[in-house]
Amino acid sequence: MTAKKNILAEHRINEKPYYLQTDQEVTIAEAAYHQGLPILLKGPTGCGKTRFMQYLAWRLDRPLITVSCHDDLSTSDLVGRYLIRAGEAVWMDGPLTLAVRAGAICYLDEVVEARKDTTVVIHPLADDRRELPIEKLGELLAAPPEFMLAVSYNPGYQSVLKDLKPSTRQRFVSLAFDYPDPDHEAEIVCREGGIEPDLARLLVRFAEMTRSLRDSGLAEGASTRLLIQVGKLVGQGIDIRSACRAAVTQSLTDDPELLAAIDEMAGSLFG
Amino acid sequence: MNIEQLTNRFFELVAPDQPNSWEVEDAVLPLVDSEKVEAVLSQVPVIWPISNSLCYNYLAQVTGALSCISESELPAWVNATLDHYESGGLRAAQRFMIDVERNFVCHMRGESGARLQDIHGWLLPYVQGLSGGGLELAPARAPYTDTGTVYLPQELKVFSREEDNILLYKLIAAYQWAFCRIGTFFPSFTGKFGNDAECSLQNFLRSFPDSALAGRLYHTLETLRAGFFLARELPGLVRMSRDIRRRLWDAVHGAKRRQMFVLGQLDQACCLFDAVPAVELQQPVTNFVNRLSAHHAGAGDSLELCQLLYERVAHEGEEPAEPLVFQGELHLSAVQAAREQQQKIIGEQFLEALSVHLLHLPEARPLLEEQMEKGEGGGRADGDRAIILEHQAEPGKENAARTLYLKIDNEATELPEELRRLVSDLHDLGVNPERYITSAVGRAGQAMARGEGGESTSEEQVVVSTQSYDEWDFRRKGFRKNWCILTEREIVPLRTNFVSATLAKYHGRIVRLRHQFEMMRTQERFLRRQRDGDDVDFDALVESLADTRAGLPPSDRLFIRLRRDERDIAVLFLLDMSNSTEGWIGTAIKESLVLLCEAMETLGDRYGIYGFSGMRRLRCETFHIKHIDESYTDEVRQRIGSITPREYTRMAPAIRHMTSLFKTVDARVRLLITLSDGKPEDYDDYKGEYAIEDTRHALLEARSAGIHPFCITIDRHAHDYMAHMYGDVNYIFINNVAKLPARMPEIYRVLTT
Repeated sequence: MTAKKNILAEHRINEKPYYLQTDQEVTIAEAAYHQGLPILLKGPTGCGKTRFMQYLAWRLDRPLITVSCHDDLSTSDLVGRYLIRAGEAVWMDGPLTLAVRAGAICYLDEVVEARKDTTVVIHPLADDRRELPIEKLGELLAAPPEFMLAVSYNPGYQSVLKDLKPSTRQRFVSLAFDYPDPDHEAEIVCREGGIEPDLARLLVRFAEMTRSLRDSGLAEGASTRLLIQVGKLVGQGIDIRSACRAAVTQSLTDDPELLAAIDEMAGSLFG
Repeated sequence: MNIEQLTNRFFELVAPDQPNSWEVEDAVLPLVDSEKVEAVLSQVPVIWPISNSLCYNYLAQVTGALSCISESELPAWVNATLDHYESGGLRAAQRFMIDVERNFVCHMRGESGARLQDIHGWLLPYVQGLSGGGLELAPARAPYTDTGTVYLPQELKVFSREEDNILLYKLIAAYQWAFCRIGTFFPSFTGKFGNDAECSLQNFLRSFPDSALAGRLYHTLETLRAGFFLARELPGLVRMSRDIRRRLWDAVHGAKRRQMFVLGQLDQACCLFDAVPAVELQQPVTNFVNRLSAHHAGAGDSLELCQLLYERVAHEGEEPAEPLVFQGELHLSAVQAAREQQQKIIGEQFLEALSVHLLHLPEARPLLEEQMEKGEGGGRADGDRAIILEHQAEPGKENAARTLYLKIDNEATELPEELRRLVSDLHDLGVNPERYITSAVGRAGQAMARGEGGESTSEEQVVVSTQSYDEWDFRRKGFRKNWCILTEREIVPLRTNFVSATLAKYHGRIVRLRHQFEMMRTQERFLRRQRDGDDVDFDALVESLADTRAGLPPSDRLFIRLRRDERDIAVLFLLDMSNSTEGWIGTAIKESLVLLCEAMETLGDRYGIYGFSGMRRLRCETFHIKHIDESYTDEVRQRIGSITPREYTRMAPAIRHMTSLFKTVDARVRLLITLSDGKPEDYDDYKGEYAIEDTRHALLEARSAGIHPFCITIDRHAHDYMAHMYGDVNYIFINNVAKLPARMPEIYRVLTT
């Protein structure tokens, strides 16, 4: 029990995370929470979904347990399994079960990456039943009112083989995330990247230029996260051009012409 | 070789042509006793078929050239000569050949000009990034922009180093973008100049006795303002270009301008705007700089200063020198033409959308019936019976969206969103949408008169089958039952070497494609927790032991098996064969199909290809190119080569037909990929929102049947409607048709991995 308390303590967000609300996403998420509804966050990579969850958890004063989903994620990985300790078989709760028991928020990041036969385990939690069947324990765990389920994914141009089934997605209240407007984005980059506002403004302009290249073959432009990365490198003494090249240009594309164009954009802004 | 041997050799190389022997003797004379004869003569078969005269010139110049370049560089020199011949004619090629050192050797050492075609690949995305996708690039004699395209010289040789010339290209492109962005071409005429909607820059300049001079002065003032704008927006570029701008002033522009007073100082300020306190300027230029460098300075400030400057210049008799290199020229007529073109496109869209809206509006029926009675040649309706009104914003709600109403015979209905957007765009372009109303009524009346009834035309294609399909009417939220007749036809294959020519053209790419798609064919992965397999799954084993200790029955799924993931994908490609695709269907789309088929054959996914077109609801057509389980035979290849443009784009019946074809296909993943160049549209009233909604509904029906629709389009206006029809992530726009063959297999690969 102590160990469990320690784990939950680890997942508490004690300091207020920096998050700038752009629309009503916080208000809607809180309303969903109080109604026991799960939320689905969708948006391009690096636009603040995970940070939003941290902020929400802090506001609601609940621990946040995050699971990064992948192809090999099994139901046991989520729900739990028996392990052998000192000759005894001991049940270990998985992150999902832990969150349900503790009334925490369980956040499944990039949920489309998990296999569909794994994802269905969340169905009973995501509708009005709000319960988790643990077959190996013979237990039907009812979720307390404080528990919340959240999932996220990037609906960008992707494979048809990786998609959320309608039966899964229709259980959620969905929040669409996108890059913030330029002033907000500059504020975020300034604050999180630890750089001057003028430089942040230019970085946001840089990102905007890359986001206009969709028709030239670049599926996604620079995310806010990449800009923050640039700021952090600059804080370590890396010159701005090299920081842009490493943190943005080379991360976005391998196409030589696009690489050259994006590099020229950085040059035009930063010299 | 002696002269006779040289002459005979020449005749061998140019056979079966038989030039005059004395001309040949004259030409080969310089080669007598040359050690590099073979190298020289090896280029004769390259040049002679292109131009006999050029070939003789070559022989005259080559000996001199070989004193500067090596034999191994000779083919490159000849190629460069031919490039100059093809772009500039014989004279250009002759000039190029004469000065080998300057024209060729310097270029080989990187000491020379830059060419637009060499940097176009990255300069275009750069300009599109600056402008948010709104500007294109094209070559021209001198730089300018018409607000839709930035025109740049094909070659820049202002500096001796190539990298400086490339930087100059960037600077010129940035200035032309800046002019668009800061409103140089559409200044607002308020305050001092009155608020007349008819005011334009052209009229303003014509009010001066010498409008050309006034235009030059205005453009120079705007160049100064654009420089300050660039200093704020692209500070890096301004810093990087400081050196070349200084050199431009010192070496290129300054010399002529130092004799001038006001204009010379103004041009100096344009070149060195970021060093202004250090650069000594005097009045009135100091005033100009102070005013135009302000953050809030607008084109109106330049208009006012233009008047002051004109008076001063006219009084002192100064003449402006040629424009600064990065300034370019002011082409107001091109701007006007581009704007009119944009107005025309949006106007036509508005007209179409409004006429369709009227056709389906019960309140408009009486008006349209009157139009019908006027007959086909009736044209325009009475102007005051239909007008567009704007709802007055309620006090306190000024920020609410404009509400626009269409008032017909005193009955008002709200305009739908698409029409509201188009009206707003028209207003932004300075067009009064009112004048389109009467045309729309006329057009709607004529469409109503034409109504239904398609005449079938005789086709040499074989009819395979005929079926009827419903059509979705979004207004009544219901189907028009059995509204469309769709005929599946065979394409008559013509004898063509199109496919083999395409395979030859893309040979290298096809090899790479096959490799890529082979890798996709089987994805090996370890399957855990299997009842049997190659290896023990220790995680599962440990869990099983733990379960046993806990008193649970142990699992028997304790092995890992290596499995090849069998792809179980079936895809139908649906090709828009309408007449509007004529520009591209001839090459790009057919080449894409050939490449795609090569990739699909390697991959092993099941695929079918159909085209669609037709005219009116009773004559919708699909064309069989390849059935889904048909082998990729020569006959299929011939059909691909025989694809030709047809008629209109009534997309929805074709999509419904594909959905019905999929019923007999058993596959885990079923894809429908449409290749299109425009909106769904037919000859009759099947246009605008009605057509988009019907197509969207057909796609929704496909999705409900478990099919994933996806669209590849080259329509520039795709973003207006594709997201609504296919969904935001289920279409892709290809901005350069020539890239389609390369991108199609890539798109398929990403979609199905």
